[in-house]
Amino acid sequence: MIQSEQVAGIYSPPFKIVSKYFIGSIISFVVFNLLLVLNYNSINGHHFQPKILSLNHIATLGFVTMVIFGAMFQLVPVVMEVKLFSPLLAEIQFWIYTSGVVLLVYKFWYFDSFISFLLPGLILSLAILLFSINIIFSMIKVKVWNITGSYLIAAIFWLLITALAGYLLTKNLDKPFIKINHLQYLNLHAITAFVGWVGMVIMGVSFKLIPMFTLSHGYKMTFAKISLLITNAGLLGINWIMHYSDTGFYNLVFGTLIFIGVILYLIQIFIIFKKRIRKKLDIGLKFSAFAFIIFGIVSTLNFSFLFFDYESIVNLTLVYGIIVIYGFFGTLILGQMYKIVPFLVWYHKYSSKVGIEIVPMLKDMFNEKLAEYQLYLLLGGIVISSSGLLINKGIVVLIGFILLLTNSIIFTINMIKIFRS
Amino acid sequence: MVIKEIKREDVLETLKAVIDPEIGLNIVDLGLVYDVQISDEVILITMTLTTPGCPMHGSIVNWVERIISMSFPNKIVDVQLVWEPRWTPEKMSEEAKKFLGI
Repeated sequence: MIQSEQVAGIYSPPFKIVSKYFIGSIISFVVFNLLLVLNYNSINGHHFQPKILSLNHIATLGFVTMVIFGAMFQLVPVVMEVKLFSPLLAEIQFWIYTSGVVLLVYKFWYFDSFISFLLPGLILSLAILLFSINIIFSMIKVKVWNITGSYLIAAIFWLLITALAGYLLTKNLDKPFIKINHLQYLNLHAITAFVGWVGMVIMGVSFKLIPMFTLSHGYKMTFAKISLLITNAGLLGINWIMHYSDTGFYNLVFGTLIFIGVILYLIQIFIIFKKRIRKKLDIGLKFSAFAFIIFGIVSTLNFSFLFFDYESIVNLTLVYGIIVIYGFFGTLILGQMYKIVPFLVWYHKYSSKVGIEIVPMLKDMFNEKLAEYQLYLLLGGIVISSSGLLINKGIVVLIGFILLLTNSIIFTINMIKIFRS
Repeated sequence: MVIKEIKREDVLETLKAVIDPEIGLNIVDLGLVYDVQISDEVILITMTLTTPGCPMHGSIVNWVERIISMSFPNKIVDVQLVWEPRWTPEKMSEEAKKFLGI
């Protein structure tokens, strides 16, 4: 006879909603890789050109943000111990958001005059607003606050700023009205998206997930708290000065603040890894460890942009984009998906069978060896495609992109295996 | 009919069937079960989790309730989830420590 009122998954949102976002993200990842292979010749020169903007948004909106939305709908309730404000809103948002991404990507690719830039801009802004409302209204009811919650609130704020800057950019492309160089707004849009939105989510969630997966104990979170303050101060400063034309000195100050914030975050992560009880890193954590190392390299490169003029180096911005999207976001997201997706599917299918029949362990739900090869393909693909871009050799870029496409196919095979297990 | 008296060890042995699917270890060897008290009507289990906000929060408690009520159908099962004292690695059994390479 059961006495306790506790019910399994009391805080978890419906599996079908979260899985939709995850599947949407996986599809976007494969499409992104496939389009890179098919259009490798277009990946050259300045980053503000139709196909590169289109590809960039398949990666950032389709692959990265889609999976973050799904993960936040799952993690905010369980980590903050509150119910999701509205699963129905999350479902509606998925369809609005997906149609916005498809329209924006199409518009960037073809610059089709039939569709105004405003339409995808408005649809995406609406979807982002719905997401923000859903998460904020859920978090209002949190009883015990933690540092992950603070990072997530900051992330939502920067997501809204990113969407606003993105919307103004699409409005400007439709009918030019921005008086200063629109590339400055593009920078603002990119910085708030990368460091503010994605960065804050990754930082906040990693402080919860990495110790949980590695069983780390007995450390203080001092660096995490300082990092939160410093990084956000830097972001606020950058957002303020970007509206002015002469930004040199202040750019240096606020850029340095963000860099210090990132370094402090990485120190905190290093401490957590050092204090881990599970010494052997499984494949999900191997991906994550590489992502943190690459994050350090990318941040240092970004920091050096403040002091050195790299204009003579061909395609450096594109290489930087590839390292950020694949090396940091991609490697971390793919690694964490190897941890989260098996758990969600396992929970959905086997939770009710524990103690009644033999249930699989999470690591048995996919081919770990194949995932290991995938990691090498991913890292190899990043190095080769980046080298190809730097020496401006199309064939080398293509080889790199083929390795990255193979990595995405292997990942998809493993994800299908998990969903089917 | 002779009703066998339920011992603490019986309950702990039963609880070893509850395995954390992420770590691959059962909750007894992980040191998550702090106390088992058996009275005439109730089996009271006091336990914790490795970290607050664990995604398996509700599930593990539910599994414990289900498996104990199935094994000892004449008893009421009461699971108390506590966060004090906090779980530390020292609470794990020697087998668990060996499994994790400590």
